[in-house]
Amino acid sequence: MSNSFTQPAGKKNILKLVAGYEEGVARKNGRHATGTDKSEYKGKVSAEIAKLHPKRLHLKLIQIFEDTASTKTFRFVGQKGNLPPFQAGQYINLFVNINGVETARPYAISSCPTQRDYYDLTVKIVKNGFVSGYMLREFQVGMDFTATSPMGTFCHNPLFHGNDLVFLAGGSGGAPARSMILSALNQHPSIHYHLIYGNSYEDDVIFQREFRELANKFDQFTLTEVISRPTENYQGLAGHLSKDLIQQQIGDIRGKTFYVCGPTPFNEFCRAQLKALGVEDKRIRIECNGPPKNVSELEDWPNKLEVAQEVTVTVRGKKQFKAKVGEPLLNSMERNGLTMENACRSGECSLCRCKVVEGAVFNPPEAKLRKSDKEFGWVHACVAFPTEDIEIMY
Amino acid sequence: MHDFDAIVIGAGNGGLTAAVALQRGGAKTLLLERHNIPGGCATSFVRGDFEFEVALHQLSGLGTEAKPFIMRKVFQDLGVMDKVEFVQEAELYRMVVLDDFDVTLPASWNGIKKTLAEIAPDESEAIERFMTLCEKISIESFVGVPEARKNGNEIMLKNGCPHFIQYGLKDAKSVLDEYFESEQLKTVLAAYWCYLGLPPSQFAFSDLAIMLYCYAAFKPWHIKGGSQALSNALLESFLEAGGEVRFNCAVEKIITEPAGEKRRIAGVRTEYGEEYSCVSVVSNASSIITYCDLLDSPTLPKEVAEDFKSREVGTSAFCIYLGLDCTPAELGIRNASTFISTTQDEELMHATMGTMNPPVATMLTCYNVDDPDFAPPGKTQVSLLCLQYGKVWEGVNPKDYTQRKYEFAGHLFDQAERVFPGLRDHIEEVEVATPLTMMRYLNTPEGAIYGFQQNPEDSKLYRDRYDSVSGLHLAGSWNGMGGFQPTYMLGASTARRALKEISTAKQLMQAQSTKLEAAHV
Repeated sequence: MSNSFTQPAGKKNILKLVAGYEEGVARKNGRHATGTDKSEYKGKVSAEIAKLHPKRLHLKLIQIFEDTASTKTFRFVGQKGNLPPFQAGQYINLFVNINGVETARPYAISSCPTQRDYYDLTVKIVKNGFVSGYMLREFQVGMDFTATSPMGTFCHNPLFHGNDLVFLAGGSGGAPARSMILSALNQHPSIHYHLIYGNSYEDDVIFQREFRELANKFDQFTLTEVISRPTENYQGLAGHLSKDLIQQQIGDIRGKTFYVCGPTPFNEFCRAQLKALGVEDKRIRIECNGPPKNVSELEDWPNKLEVAQEVTVTVRGKKQFKAKVGEPLLNSMERNGLTMENACRSGECSLCRCKVVEGAVFNPPEAKLRKSDKEFGWVHACVAFPTEDIEIMY
Repeated sequence: MHDFDAIVIGAGNGGLTAAVALQRGGAKTLLLERHNIPGGCATSFVRGDFEFEVALHQLSGLGTEAKPFIMRKVFQDLGVMDKVEFVQEAELYRMVVLDDFDVTLPASWNGIKKTLAEIAPDESEAIERFMTLCEKISIESFVGVPEARKNGNEIMLKNGCPHFIQYGLKDAKSVLDEYFESEQLKTVLAAYWCYLGLPPSQFAFSDLAIMLYCYAAFKPWHIKGGSQALSNALLESFLEAGGEVRFNCAVEKIITEPAGEKRRIAGVRTEYGEEYSCVSVVSNASSIITYCDLLDSPTLPKEVAEDFKSREVGTSAFCIYLGLDCTPAELGIRNASTFISTTQDEELMHATMGTMNPPVATMLTCYNVDDPDFAPPGKTQVSLLCLQYGKVWEGVNPKDYTQRKYEFAGHLFDQAERVFPGLRDHIEEVEVATPLTMMRYLNTPEGAIYGFQQNPEDSKLYRDRYDSVSGLHLAGSWNGMGGFQPTYMLGASTARRALKEISTAKQLMQAQSTKLEAAHV
């Protein structure tokens, strides 16, 4: 508050009367004699930030592995050398252009964070998926891409997760599981991982051979495989990851932290099982997984509103277009040639924050909105569904 | 014609208030922010059930409704008083020096005197004189000193500001030493040094006096919904007044053009290559970034280079944001702000800030002691932090960064758990921010949170405003004092200067176009 004074132009400096003022002048002159003009900071802040969190990665696809009939692993290197460090379990948001539509999808990195020559992204085809099918069909070695830097909080946190870890993975959930398990085996000998890996079909289990080999080799890693739609000759565990199955496989739940990653129904099923077993909320860490697939089935969805109904979306200063109420706003914007920052596409990261100026949207539980954002009409476009004609700005 | 009258770079406290004041003052204003949300430090993020307050610990300068102080007027003028709700905190702080003492100062003038007298009963007379001194210096600093300086009048200063003359610019330590014998008393009274980032031997006593007076007489406050609620309210006020904002849009260059001997603002260019022309630019970026990275001139203006030579980059902070699965009472947390240290030696505390050694001084803030809405029912939000210089972290190899971050966080828990045992066992959500996190989100050199070192000679008493680029203004902690109240106030006063300049420019253009029309006729 003392800084509300300024030296009035042309007025006598009366501060010499103040005890300590002259000493201050002397100290200032002393600093001036030895100090720099700060030009050494030119470009330094952005360079420092880019070491850990570059805004964009520029990637080249160098190898494609066919994991199973439904899944491929894509290996990317940095176009300009080393990639930034990441925590096992984190994702990057990969930008793609599909028939002229600029969009993106977040994928967990499946490779181990102890090497940074490349990132592996393991992608399982999603039924009716706009991007995954395209990736599996069209991606070729040598293609260039941009992506966000690694993000996300679905990671082992040594401050409170402990060392006794259980990972419930469903299908593509094997991707972050692989990174987290490899990371532990490579650098954290005190961690024990138990992976309970649920898949639909015996012949479509990603990383099956590798996980089995690791389980044989390392005492700190236990693998349980479960198949929900077994063939007649199948010998192993069958069914879903029910509470009884989990209990039977891991024994005492106390002191264990559970990671859950798979399709949304899988995640919700596992959550319910773990809660039924008496696992505390804080020990259940669930990775988010995109916008809700059947939004009209959610509680609070406006009565009788059909997902196919069309509304008009006006983006202030930019464009007006028609959109279906059952489609996330970010997706319909992208199809209409509008881009905005985005990363998690699951309601969490808030990069696609925009303001609803007119009309209303439906915010599902996935939308992790700040209280005051709600109050002033700011929403996350990736999980916002326009339920009437709207105008937005961002 | 310009695209805008004013362009504000950055929606931190200084930028937001400047933008609101400009737009409400009639200037067509564009606000550009590199992140996706307004606030800068004054922001929040969501994890699980919790919305974490990032930076505000105690808002000063508000006063009560019955006894209002300047910030009520500032917020009124910015049109946000009906958009936010303030929550009063009951105590200034609890101070624990481990294995030594544990004192809580209430947020009341007489209560403080009483508590201090209990610490050192035989110094009660000195306590009385000291508290009077704090009050007098504050009032002289707000009124008498600026008035005397405006008039260049020594007599006014001598007659009106005797306390300031005697003590205002002395270092805080020497004044505390002069008044008190008890080391405990001095330590308790100097606790707010961490809001300045330097030990009491290195900042002006007037800064400490004003903080004590303002928090005690006008109370410490918090904002319902956190500082993000105020940032969002300011933005709303800006939009209501017709302002334009763009998020996720960093400014890449401030464009200038020759104007006689000097240069003047022409406009800005964004990271996407769009250029907008304007009369005034208010930069809420740090002054170092503004002049070294953003300004289009290849070399620093001479006056700026000279001024920078006597400045030093100030401290950053290491913060742990905690969502706990129990109530504050279950952990023994009884008040909003607790300072914990293993020593009374502020010099040692400050020296440790420049290392990776376990901190000897930490602060724990628990917002839902005074505001139960700050966490879901039965849960608690806490921030646990220490000041630390960013340079220490710039030396960490990126591959080791995460591990070092959690190791260092462990040190803070170790210390806090000596006062609040079992803290770690109650974690439901946790996020750790290092000085590099501050750098990433604030875009400041070394992740500094208060701007330059806030020694006495950093203040405007010793500095002239830069004027080598006309139309370029700075708002934010790098151009004055750090913290919430000072940056809000500075944003508003910067806007007043820019508004004058814009109005002059408009009159000039009006006159020129009239002349042109006359010529055509």
